[in-house]
Amino acid sequence: MTSPRHPPARARALIRSSVAATVVIGSTLVASPAFASNRDDGDDPGAGLSTLEVLWWFVGLPLLIIAVVALLVYAPSIARGPRQRPGPSWSAGPVWFNGPTDGDVDAAIAAATPTTGGGGTSARW
Amino acid sequence: MPDGEAFTPRQRESIARAITLAENSSDLRYSVYVGDLGDNSREQAQRLHAALGAEVAARGVLLAVDPRDRLVEIVTGPEAARWLDQRACALASLAVTTQCALGDVAGGVVNGLRAMAEHARHPRVLHTNQP
Repeated sequence: MTSPRHPPARARALIRSSVAATVVIGSTLVASPAFASNRDDGDDPGAGLSTLEVLWWFVGLPLLIIAVVALLVYAPSIARGPRQRPGPSWSAGPVWFNGPTDGDVDAAIAAATPTTGGGGTSARW
Repeated sequence: MPDGEAFTPRQRESIARAITLAENSSDLRYSVYVGDLGDNSREQAQRLHAALGAEVAARGVLLAVDPRDRLVEIVTGPEAARWLDQRACALASLAVTTQCALGDVAGGVVNGLRAMAEHARHPRVLHTNQP
């Protein structure tokens, strides 16, 4: 006696083959034919692209768009100049906030005698 | 001619604001120098401090940073040293170096000024300030 849960072997084979047949036949029937060589009524294809036009539309224009985007991205930092990072690459001139305002600063520095009697620290990083 | 600015306008503004805030909270004069300090950086920093002017230097605090040689010098005048002792200056220089090590010199300067202003704060004595 077979188990009531499973259909008999012959029925199973029938189901299996019918599913396979439905998938194959159904998909072939539903798929519309993609035959471009068959002209539809009323279609009006224009003239083909020349080699130069193909190069322009598919190579030149994308490259142009990429160049414009890259320019937009890099333009602000180019205008700002090189970014200063501490280290041997530091190239900016000296800046003095709240320093001496009157006269020749360089001469004043050269003439000054180093402060004594105060305090302070030195540090490196 | 050096190429590139050390700070952006926004960074300059924040440093200037930090100086103003520090001077308002403590009665000292702060000055920040960012640039080359030469071989003898300590002496050069003291020279810069003296160049602030005789009447300013006594109450003056100079925070000098040499980004190329990666060093920080803090010089305090005799009067300023009473408010900013060695320990306070060491803490401030640590605040500077910590931020500078991350590549942010402007942020380091601002943090250092804040640390110094915090230590040198002159507490207001209300019963003597009031008439």
